[in-house]
Amino acid sequence: MDLNRCEAYAQCAFQAPDVFAMHGEEALMYEPCPGDERREQVMRAAASCPVQAILVEWPGGPAVPEEAGTGARG
Amino acid sequence: MTSATLLRRITDYAARADPYPLYAELRRTPVARQEDGVYAVSTYWEIAGLLHDPRLSSDPRNRVPTAGEEDILEEEQGLPPSFLRLDPPEHDRLRRLATRPFGPPDSLRRVSDMRGDLARMVSGLIDGLRDREQADIVEDFAYPFPVMVICNLLGVPHEDEGRFHVWAEAIVAGLDPGEEGEGPAERLRAAQRARMELGRYLAGLIEDRRRAPGGDMLSALAAGHGDRERMSPLELVVTAVLLLIAGHETTVNLITNGMLTLLRHPDALRRLREEPGLAVPLVEELLRYEPPVQLLPQRTALADIDVGGVTIPRGAPVWLVLASGNRDPRRFPDPDRFDPGRTGNEHLGFGGGIHYCFGAPLARLEAQVALTELARRLVEPRLVEDPPPYRRNPVLRGPRHLPVAFDGCVP
Repeated sequence: MDLNRCEAYAQCAFQAPDVFAMHGEEALMYEPCPGDERREQVMRAAASCPVQAILVEWPGGPAVPEEAGTGARG
Repeated sequence: MTSATLLRRITDYAARADPYPLYAELRRTPVARQEDGVYAVSTYWEIAGLLHDPRLSSDPRNRVPTAGEEDILEEEQGLPPSFLRLDPPEHDRLRRLATRPFGPPDSLRRVSDMRGDLARMVSGLIDGLRDREQADIVEDFAYPFPVMVICNLLGVPHEDEGRFHVWAEAIVAGLDPGEEGEGPAERLRAAQRARMELGRYLAGLIEDRRRAPGGDMLSALAAGHGDRERMSPLELVVTAVLLLIAGHETTVNLITNGMLTLLRHPDALRRLREEPGLAVPLVEELLRYEPPVQLLPQRTALADIDVGGVTIPRGAPVWLVLASGNRDPRRFPDPDRFDPGRTGNEHLGFGGGIHYCFGAPLARLEAQVALTELARRLVEPRLVEDPPPYRRNPVLRGPRHLPVAFDGCVP
């Protein structure tokens, strides 16, 4: 998780409630190494993040290039 | 053509089927003052910055009314604004209260638990097409599905759909900036009346739920959370109106635009059929490529704002043209290409900042389930007319009808 990018939209917690949780309105808690059974949830969370702050790498699977953004924010 | 008339050309109905070349023209001047004093912002970084700028208000009471609007804004004593049209701190308080029965942290699984129900609704609607060779994706599918979903979620009886549909249409028409030379006054007034009537209807339902609560959101909102802060009865009605309208009038366009885009891109349709997991990035790409909310026309500068080499003066109305920012080549490589596998897709389809679409998780799920099943079950679907006839509204843009022919349905 790139917590510098995270703006607490909470979309990941909607998409992957077993991996991401909001504590209060702004603090994000997450499981950094979720099991394979959470893979689909994690992919949904990464795709839906409005600021693309979730980087996914799966051992044995194709690393997903979530190199978010294309340059500095203007 | 000068940029002064460009926004008018965009809102003109003639541009509805394909406004994208006009957006490209608009982007040549990222922040463009129009002849009526509106500032149109059309490039990605400038829109993204303003979505996060507290100097840009969503509250219509900060507007300097344009000619013809004065009376209406003064008369606007019917219902107070919903959190969509409020600034902090009122916005934050009401949105937080509305989130409690909908999403994290209090209702972590409300949306993900709806997946099974959504799949059953979609199956039922497609089953209804089994003996047909042609369907209108709007009337037969993309309209009834989100209405069923929002009715279930809120606890609004589906049988009343005929009644609130009329109000919903009038309220949404109030967002339409209208054609050249036509005053928005009558439409705005009709929208206010409809909002009042829908509010009265929902107030009755909320009262019922207070007496006999169910598992729905209206019951939860009416019950509140013990001694913690809660909505006033009027705030509750206003919020219920907002959620019903938003759930009713936007997802229909996301699903219809999605089916239209898939039929125009047969490779994407085939890929979705073969790998249903593609639905996740595909829906994000749709939100970039054909967003159901094309622009946000109701913001006001609270101070002079320097952006894109222009100073937007205090009090000026500002339009954020999300659909144009989504096609900005400075942000998205090959922006006019529909690429269902696109990564790093930080689109503006749900807006951004504190007003980021409240229902986004539900809209995503609805579109993913709907498009995956349509792709899987309709055999050889093809467009009957391209472009299809569009709705009038340039803000909530989508086809009025989407006639599709096919060779039956697989189970």
